[in-house]
Amino acid sequence: MKVDLTTRLAGLQLKNPVLTASGTFGFGEEYARFYDLALLGGITVKGITLEPRIGNPVPRIAETPSGILNAVGLENPGLEAFLSTYLPRLEKLKTAVIVNISGFSLEEYAKLAAALPENSCIAALEVNISCPNIKDGGMAFGTDPQSAGEVLAVTRKQTKLPLIAKLSPNVTDIVAIAKAVEENGADIISLINTLLGMRIDLDRGRPLLANTMGGLSGPAVRPVAVRMVYQVYQAVRLPIIGMGGISCWQDAVEFMLAGASAVSVGTANFINPLAPLEIINGLEAYCRQKGYHSVKELVGLAHRKEEPFDEEKR
Amino acid sequence: MLSQEKIICHRLLDPRYGLYQLVLRGKIAATAQPGQFVHLKVGATTDPLLRRPLSIARIDRARGEITLFYRVVGRGTALLTDVKEQESLNVLGPLGKGFTKPAEGELLLVAGGIGIFPLFSLLEAVDRSRVKVKVMWGGENRQFLESAGLPILRELGVEYEAATLDGSLGQKGLVTALLESSLHRTRTSQEMHHSAVAGAGPKDSVLQVAACGPRGMLKAVTEICCRQGVPVEVCLEERMACGVGACLGCVCTVKTATGHKRRRVCAEGPVFDGREVVWDEG
Repeated sequence: MKVDLTTRLAGLQLKNPVLTASGTFGFGEEYARFYDLALLGGITVKGITLEPRIGNPVPRIAETPSGILNAVGLENPGLEAFLSTYLPRLEKLKTAVIVNISGFSLEEYAKLAAALPENSCIAALEVNISCPNIKDGGMAFGTDPQSAGEVLAVTRKQTKLPLIAKLSPNVTDIVAIAKAVEENGADIISLINTLLGMRIDLDRGRPLLANTMGGLSGPAVRPVAVRMVYQVYQAVRLPIIGMGGISCWQDAVEFMLAGASAVSVGTANFINPLAPLEIINGLEAYCRQKGYHSVKELVGLAHRKEEPFDEEKR
Repeated sequence: MLSQEKIICHRLLDPRYGLYQLVLRGKIAATAQPGQFVHLKVGATTDPLLRRPLSIARIDRARGEITLFYRVVGRGTALLTDVKEQESLNVLGPLGKGFTKPAEGELLLVAGGIGIFPLFSLLEAVDRSRVKVKVMWGGENRQFLESAGLPILRELGVEYEAATLDGSLGQKGLVTALLESSLHRTRTSQEMHHSAVAGAGPKDSVLQVAACGPRGMLKAVTEICCRQGVPVEVCLEERMACGVGACLGCVCTVKTATGHKRRRVCAEGPVFDGREVVWDEG
C-alpha cells in the first residue's frame, strides 16, 4: 500500500510533512553533504535580519539533561547578503525553502517581507516573534497578543507568500497569542521556539553562557511542545507546524496526533544528521502499519473522544 | 562523513591524568588531514545529548585507522571510557580545516598539555627529509608528558624540548619561554647569516609555527611569533554542538579588512592564522 505523504498547509505545498527548524540547519549547505535535501518536505533557513548581525559572544552553547541551551543571538549575514549570496544557492536545492525573518521594529519586519521575492524558491516566510536571545524585538513581540498581531498585520501587507507565525513558549497563555496571529493574517502557526533557561558554572560561580540566558531545545522540551500544539489545535483553525525536541519518527507521530500537520526537526540534526530522513521513512511505515492512506489522517487524532485506533480495526 | 568506526584499541594510558588512547578503523582515515577532528556519539541515550569533538592525533591510511587521545574531563569523556574494543562508534568526520602542511623549511610545533594531540598528526604528515621539525611541549610534570606522548616523539625520532611546571623534565616553567628564547636565537643567527650572505631572503619566510593548547597559551604564542615576524597557526577549542557549521555555536572572532567577523571553529577552523584571531574578545 502506498502512503500519501504530501502535505498542504494553507498555501504551502510540501512533498512530505518533515521540515528542518530554523537556526539548526544553516542555509542548508552543511547538511547537503549528507543527503539530497530534495528528499525533505522543506528546509527553514537561519533567521535573517535587515542588517548583518555578529551575534553573541561565546560560550553560546551549554548542555543540559537531554537538551541544550543556545544563545547565538541571531548571527546572520543580513538581508542584502542573503539575497545576493544565499538565495541563488538555495534555488539549486530543489526543496521548499522557508525563510525565517526577525525584526527589531514593525518597520523592519515589513521591510524584510517586502524584499523577499515571491517568485523564487521561497515557499513561505516564518515570522520569528520568539527569539529569546536578543535584547529588543524577538520574543518581546511574541509574548504579548497585541504586538504579535501587529507584527503579522504589517508583514501580511507586504507579501503574498504564506506567512508562518513562530510562537514563543515563554508565555502564560499560548492560545491567546495563537488567536492574535490568526486574526492578523497568519496562514500557518509554528511552535515552539526555545524555552528560556540558564545554567551556572560551579567553578566560576557565574552564568555559563556569555549571554547569561539562552533557549532550551532538544528532547527535554518535547512534552511542553506537544502540550502547546494540542492546545493551539483546539483553539485555532490554522494548520500547525510542530517542533520541539523531535528526534525520531515516534516523536513526529506524537506531534501529528496532537494536531500538527507538519513537523520540524531541529536539535536532532546536530546529533544525527540523517534524523529528518529517518523520520520521513518511519512516518510512512507507521501509516502503512496503521492502515492510513495519507499522513493527513493522523493530524489531531488525539483530540477524538472515541479511541482513535479502535475504529480502524472495525 | 557519518561512519561506524570499529574500535581496534582502547586503553588507559595514565590513571592519574585520565588519559586514554582510542584507535578506530573505518572510512575516516582515508581522507583525514592533520588538524581535523571527529565528532563522536557517546552513549546510546539522549543524556548527554551532544556529540563530543576529539582531534585526530594519528592517521594510518594503509591500515585505515585513526588514533585519538583524550583526557577525561566531564560526563561525555567519562562515558566514552566505557566503550569496548571490537564494538563500533558512530563518528562524524573528518571535520574542519586543519593545518597548512609545509613542503620545506622549518616547522616548530608548540604544544600545551593535551594540545600535543592534534600536532602529532601534523608531525607525521610532513616530509621530514625536506622540513626540519622541532617540538616544544609544556606540561605539568614528567609523568604527564611521558603518558601523553613522549614515547611517540621518541619513536618518530623528532627533536623536542620540554617545559614542566615543577621542573621534573626540561626547563622549569611555561612552553612560551622556550619558544621565546628559541625564536630569538633563530632570528639572531639569521641576521648574522644575512649580513654575511647578502640577499638570502627566502630563508626568512620558511620558519613557521603550529600551536595547540589552552587559549591563554595560544595568545602568548601568537604574540611572540608576531614580534619575531614568524607565521603561526593555532588550533582552537570551543563548545560545539553540530560540528558541521550549521548551528553557529562555536564561533571565534577574527580581524578582516572589513572589521571583526565571526568564524565557525568547526568549519573554518579549528586551525586559524594566529595573527587573525581576536584574542581578547569572546
